[in-house]
Amino acid sequence: MEREVVPWDNAEPLSGPIGVPLVDLLDRVLATGVVISGDLVIAIADVPLVRLSLHALLSSVNERVPAPWADGGPL
Amino acid sequence: MTTSRLDVDSDQLGRDLVALVLTVVELLRQLMERQAIRRIDQGDLTDSQVDEIGTTLMLLDQRMAELCEQHGVRPEDLNLDLGPLGSLLPRD
Repeated sequence: MEREVVPWDNAEPLSGPIGVPLVDLLDRVLATGVVISGDLVIAIADVPLVRLSLHALLSSVNERVPAPWADGGPL
Repeated sequence: MTTSRLDVDSDQLGRDLVALVLTVVELLRQLMERQAIRRIDQGDLTDSQVDEIGTTLMLLDQRMAELCEQHGVRPEDLNLDLGPLGSLLPRD
């Protein structure tokens, strides 16, 4: 019975797990839109000193995610 | 007695740094190009806006080619192999 060929079987350089260049992957991520959130606290000797709270929206401009300014922004 | 010496060629070093910077710029340029195509496909831009985007992207492409030539970097040098992640830019 013939075994199913997996991408890492052949000796050529890998074309990636999904065969998509990173730039196309980023393009699709932007088209969908992602929210990145995180909390970072810098502490020394168990004393918290600095808090960094992040909530970032990363998305293409579309009808669901409009630009915050009407025309190109205050540039 | 064998002497081993490491020659750090400042020209080579500078060229590699330029290649790194150009790689990041090229990634952003191609990403913007794809996003622009998506935006144009949405159809909410005026014809003059589409025209302007097209011209700007074309000029950017020309400028990148000029910069690569000036610094002796081949365009395919900008495509990093990210190992299991695949390549950075599409292979032509």
